[in-house]
Parts: sequence; C-alpha cells; structure tokens
Amino acid sequence: MMIQSFFNRPNTRAVLTLGAAVVALATLGARQQPPQQPTPAPQQPTELSAVIKNGGGAPTRLAVPSFIALTSDAETTAIAKTIGQVLWDDLNYEREFELIPRDTYATIPAAKSFTDVPMDRWHEIGADGLIVGTVEKTGAGIKVQVRLFRIATGQSAFGQEYSGSGANPRVYAHTISDEIHKQQRNLNGVARTKLAFDSDRDGERMGGTIEQRSTKEIYIADYDGENQKRITVNKSLNITAAWSPDGRSIAYTSYRHGAPSIFISNIFAGTMEELTKTAPSTDSKTPRASDSNFLPQWSPDGTRLCFMSNRDGNPEIYVANRDGSNVRRITTHPAGDVSCTWSPSGTQIAFVSDRSGAPQLYIVGADGLGLTRLSVGESYVDRPTWSPPPYNEIAFAARTTSAGFDIKVFDFASGQVHALTFGEGTNESPAWAPNGRHLAFSSTRAGKWQIFTVGRDGKNVRQITRSGNNYQPAWSK
Amino acid sequence: MPKVQPIPEAGPGRLGRGHRVSSSLAEINVVPLVDVMLVLLIIFMVTAPMIQRGVDVNIPVSRNSGPIVNERVFVSVPVAYRQNHLVYLDNEQIRVDALQERIRQKMEGRSDKEVYLRGDAGLLYQDLMDVFDRLHAAGVARIGLVNKLPGEK
Repeated sequence: MMIQSFFNRPNTRAVLTLGAAVVALATLGARQQPPQQPTPAPQQPTELSAVIKNGGGAPTRLAVPSFIALTSDAETTAIAKTIGQVLWDDLNYEREFELIPRDTYATIPAAKSFTDVPMDRWHEIGADGLIVGTVEKTGAGIKVQVRLFRIATGQSAFGQEYSGSGANPRVYAHTISDEIHKQQRNLNGVARTKLAFDSDRDGERMGGTIEQRSTKEIYIADYDGENQKRITVNKSLNITAAWSPDGRSIAYTSYRHGAPSIFISNIFAGTMEELTKTAPSTDSKTPRASDSNFLPQWSPDGTRLCFMSNRDGNPEIYVANRDGSNVRRITTHPAGDVSCTWSPSGTQIAFVSDRSGAPQLYIVGADGLGLTRLSVGESYVDRPTWSPPPYNEIAFAARTTSAGFDIKVFDFASGQVHALTFGEGTNESPAWAPNGRHLAFSSTRAGKWQIFTVGRDGKNVRQITRSGNNYQPAWSK
Repeated sequence: MPKVQPIPEAGPGRLGRGHRVSSSLAEINVVPLVDVMLVLLIIFMVTAPMIQRGVDVNIPVSRNSGPIVNERVFVSVPVAYRQNHLVYLDNEQIRVDALQERIRQKMEGRSDKEVYLRGDAGLLYQDLMDVFDRLHAAGVARIGLVNKLPGEK
C-alpha cells in the first residue's frame, strides 16, 4: 500500500491529533468572524446632520438657481436674478462646494415657492444641496428668504430671512454665502470683505512742484471687484492702503503736502487724520519736506501702526499708536529698513532690510528687541505680508527675473517656500484675505498693472480691476 | 497485517512440535481507510484558504481622496428613448437633458474620459447622434459602442 509507506502505523495517532488541531483552529477562526452588524437606524435630523457633505472625499455639489420673485415687477425680478448669480459666484469662490453650472438649470422647471421644488429633477442633475430663495417687495425695501435643501431628503438644512434696502442686492448674496459657509463648513468666507488699492485711472495730473507725475487715488471695491469707489480726492499721490482690523478705516501714504505722510481715512464716518503729523516740521501742518513716511500697516488689534520713515536720516521702521502718539523707532541700522508687517499675535514685526547687501527678510519684536534674519533662499525680497491665523506664513514678492517679481510664500511650520505665480508678467504686493485662503496682488500679466486674487494653492486666479493701472492691494478683515 | 496470536498449547500431553491455528478476522480493518481520509482532509484544509481569494489588504481610510477613477461608465439608450427621452447612466434612469452635466461630473479628474454607449439597435441614427453630442460637450474624448457578436445572446 503506497500511502501506508508515507504514514507508517506508529504515526497514525500523531496525524490524527494534528488533524483534530487543524479542525479546531478552523472552527475557532470561523467563530472569530464578527457577527452581522445590525443595520443602523435611519438618522434623525439633528443639528449635526444639517450639514450636507458627501463621504469618501467626494465633492458636495450645490445648485443655486435664480431666486424666486414673489412680486412680479421688473425690479424685483432683476434683484432675484442678481442674488442667485452673485450667490453662485460667492460660494464658488471658496471652492468648498462644487457648484453646478447655471446654464444646466434651464431644463428644470423653476419653483414658484419653497414647497414645489422639483427635488427629483435636481437629484437627476447630480445636486446634493439646492439653495432656493425668494425676493418680495415690501413697503420699505425688499424681503429675502433663503433655504438650503438637502436633495436626498428634501429637508431644509439652512434657513434665513433678511429685509432691507434693495439698492445693492449683492449684499444679500454675500451675506447668505458667508452664513452658509459658516453654518455648513465653519468657514469664515470673504464674500463681505473689501479690497483697497491705488489707481491712476482718473488720469489727473498733479499741479505744482512735481511735474507730469500721475496722480493716484485710493479706491475700494468688493472682494469680487464690484462696487469700485474712490475714497481720496486730492489730486496727488495716494498709495499703499491698509485696512484697519475693524474695516472702518484705511491708512495710506499721501503726498498731498508734498512730502509723503501717513493719513487715516475713516471711510464710514467721513473723517480723516494725519498719523505722522508729530514729526518736526517747519510749520504746524506739514512735516519737513525731507521727512518721508511710508507704508503703514495696522497691528492685529488695531491700536498701533508700523511704518517706514526717514525722519532720523535713513529709512527705519517705527511704531506709533493709532492717534499718532508714542512714536517708537524699532530698527537701528545704517542700511534701509522698509516694508513692515505684523505677526498674527502682534508681538513681532517682519520687514525688509538691505543690511546684508541685498534686500532680505528680518523679524524683530514689536518692542525692537530680538532681531533675527529669516532666510527664505531668495536674492531680492520685497513687501512681506504675514498671514492671519490659523496659518503662519509670510507672503512676499521675490525677484525671479531681471525685470520681474513673483509672489512666494514662506511657511514657518515647514520652513519651505513655494511660489504662487510663475513669471506671468511681474507680480508684486501680496495681501492676505482675512481667512488666509486667498491673496490679492498686483500684476502686469494682462498688460497694464491690475489687481488679481489667487487661492492659497496658486489656483483660481481672478482679475479684479480692468481700468487704468492699479497697484498695492489691501484686503479688509 | 493480520494479527498474530500465539495459540495456547492444548496440553502438556501433546506433541512437542508447535501447532498454530490462524483465527479469522471478524471486522473490517479501517486503519488504512482512516490514514487515507486524514491525508485528504489535511490536503483540503491546507489548500482551501489559498483558493478562496488573493492577498488580504486592509485599505486605509482617507477623507480627501477622490472616488476610484477608471470605473467604466456605461450609458444605455433603450428603444423607448424615441418616446420618453430617458437614458440610463450606469443603472440610473435620467432625462437626457441631465446627461451632459452628470457625465461632466463623472469625467472630472479622470484620465481616460471614456464612456461606453449601449444603444438599442432599433434607435434612429439621429437619436444616437443627439446622445453623442451631449457626451462630447461633457468632455468625453472616446465613446465606445457596445455591440454583440453574431449569434451571441
């Protein structure tokens, strides 16, 4: 017998034992499989489940059709259309949701109210959430109601009502966008923020001492470039605007007295102050002609400003209280120290100095102590801007070609520098959005100098200005 | 081997020359059978886990990954399309108006941009062209026409 030659008799018991052991193991293995999970009970609508989000990293797709005009006059219809379009743009700007293109909505019957929304048709086109709003004319202005529906259940995840003037319907869309971002993603959107910049679009010429010099005035605009307004009218150079943290004042450099001085315009109150009027001067109103004060930047709490001045002979960084008192010099070096920016905590100031021979970044305490050089591996650095929290980064313009600059970002956490622009014209003067997710900058990529915004990942570049030359943006809080 | 037992001697008065009587076995000898069965059992137990499936990998969890790309996308156009203009995207029935946007969403982030079109043989050429146009507008680079071989069911 052949098999017997493999297993002679004395081993039979051992084989039997082994077999029994394997059988026992196999049984054990089968027992260790988890018991069948009971199917979870359908979730009750809670505060948490009001957030519309897809699992597995798939994008959450929103559709924002035109709002419903409950009163049928042409004005209300136009407002309803505008709010829908602007809200789509606002939500799309943060790229937190995927917005379904509006031109695909045409085949879906428009709702007449909140109750007859064809959810199945919106589901068919791939939407996870749908924003429906109504606009109604009231005695004083308009009333806007909005709801965010979860398509899968047809339930409302967000609802709000606003009323007020119908003069600028974009404000309603911006407010709705910010509130939806806050409620759905705990994100501070930028839809209600504004940009300030200087522009020569009016083409006025300065009279007097400096001939043929273009004038520049400070302008403000919504974050998307709409509602551009001029806020200085003095036919001189008005440059380097900076928003106060409360968004109610703009500090800027103005040549209205001949020598550059720093002014603060309280744009809502309509008043103006001169910050650097305390410098020694020949008459009570203006500083010495040789005194130049440039590039104000607000501390994060809005109580102080840093700026550059040559009042002591060469460009140095100074810090003053908001009312111009208590001016303190915080750098002392024969080389030029310019272009200050506050750290998010307000305890440090970064600036540019050419003390090593080429313009490089330095950081010093707001009290002038603890100077260190921040090496970012660039040969020429200009206009550093410290990011708002939660990020801890400094954006700056770095000379990358003989003629041009590019926007780069230094990250303190990783010590790495990455570029946001890659030689499309020259790109200068970066300014962070208050939530740190975008930057504004000025660029020649479209011919003349224009203001652009870009996402912190370098994508989503948008042109904000189109008229004249526009420089040195600042982003309101 | 058969058991061998010494036979007790009949008595002292018998012949001195040993005399053996073999006793017949009253039962089947199952020992070889057990040997064979155990060997087969072990062979099957060892091979069974191997033939069930391949390497077991515990897939990591990630929040920000895209869906698995390069799944095939099938668009089916039944003959009833001529009346109701409904098509099937994979297994979901949708209006042809929504097809372009849905395909655009599916093609986002994919490298191949391929769609397989399963059209009914009874459709009009024009009907298929309408679907083609929508697929092209949605960014599909290649459309595969699914057909059968002659005689295939």
